[in-house]
Amino acid sequence: MNRIYQFIDERLHLGPLISEIANHPVPDHANLLKTPKAIIYCFGGMVFFILLLQVLTGVFLMFYYVPSPDHAYASVTYIRQETAFGGLLQSVHRVGASAAVVMVMLHMLRVVLTGSYKNPRELNWVVGVFLLLLVAGFSFTGYLLPWDQKAYWATTVGVNMIAGIPLIGGFLADALRGGSEVGALTLTRFFVIHVMVLPALLTIFLAAHFFMIRRQGISRPL
Amino acid sequence: MDSEEKKNLPRRKFFINGIKAVVGFFGLSLSIPLAGFFISPVLKKNAPGWIEIADVPALTAGEPVGITYKYARKDGWEMSEIRKTAFVLKQADGNIAAFSNRCTHLGCGVTWDPAARRFKCPCHGGVFDAQGKVLEGPPPKPLAQLAVKVEANKIFINEA
Ligand code: HEM
Ligand code: FES
Repeated sequence: MNRIYQFIDERLHLGPLISEIANHPVPDHANLLKTPKAIIYCFGGMVFFILLLQVLTGVFLMFYYVPSPDHAYASVTYIRQETAFGGLLQSVHRVGASAAVVMVMLHMLRVVLTGSYKNPRELNWVVGVFLLLLVAGFSFTGYLLPWDQKAYWATTVGVNMIAGIPLIGGFLADALRGGSEVGALTLTRFFVIHVMVLPALLTIFLAAHFFMIRRQGISRPL
Repeated sequence: MDSEEKKNLPRRKFFINGIKAVVGFFGLSLSIPLAGFFISPVLKKNAPGWIEIADVPALTAGEPVGITYKYARKDGWEMSEIRKTAFVLKQADGNIAAFSNRCTHLGCGVTWDPAARRFKCPCHGGVFDAQGKVLEGPPPKPLAQLAVKVEANKIFINEA
């Protein structure tokens, strides 16, 4: 291990880079080891941890999942009933989705209550709003994928809510469904949005979020 | 390195070890289910069992006959029909043998050439005799023998 690291470090001089990333003190008011109250500063990191778990379990679920009306339900049933640990992975992915939403809410609540959205961190709040929309987008598109009754009707209702937007609502809803009804085209759209489009956007916005946190530091205690 | 930093060294070591332990714990507890999930279909037994493919009186001794048989196999989340070909051969002593038609080189389907009395592979020139022995070409092994049983003049084979 050490020799491999040395080999790479001799050539690439990772030392300074690593200390640039890892070697900076957490302010006392946000340090759980110094004060238990700092737990409120952990929610953002918890969201990030859950998202990593979602990516990992999601990638593995895709080994069996088929985004087509005639196989989606059967493939999910197969995952649950016939693979080893499939039920566990699906449950982790499902519970993780809910937990991510809860943690994002708590994280936002912390940012509001400590007033951290104020100058100079307004831009990071704006990026945060996009992150919130992305997390919601994951939940909405992911919910359709098992293609059971609940999935189908929840999506029917959800897209009809979008259809309620004045003027452009009807068009938006049709674009999202790939037609006037939830069907095969909706399923493939939602699948690609869920596993390709949203992860790419999430990566970009998370990078911006974390860059700004490092650049600006955590806000001072109240 | 000032004295403040020196004092912090063991603490730093403690944290590095702590991080290693946590990462190791999560890594291990995740990798077992993930690897098991990925590999589990491979470990499932999915053998079709005995399949009836021919009647004994229809065979001529010494003359292999290619028979295509079908069976339903659970293929992931769906049932799919598998079609395969076996050659059945009535030996001079009346015993029945069966061979898979898959060439032992790289798996092409061999055919029986009655004039030459040889199995021939279309892919790289593999040639086998009526008993499945390699005569020419790259195949490393004789044609695979399938388990055979005869009940009431019906021939059954079993691939497993
Ligand atoms: C994918 C979802 C998100 C992740 C992974 C995430 C992650 C983080 C992390 C790790 C921090 C460091 C401090 C802490 O953990 O409290 C942070 C800070 C911050 N987040 Fe988020 N966040 C997310 C969503 C949001 C949302 C929805 C908002 C608000 C709309 C937001 C606004 C902020 C702001 C303004 C800060 C700086 C707070 C300060 O300096 O005190 N974030 N975020
Ligand atoms: S596959 Fe038959 S000779 Fe190569």
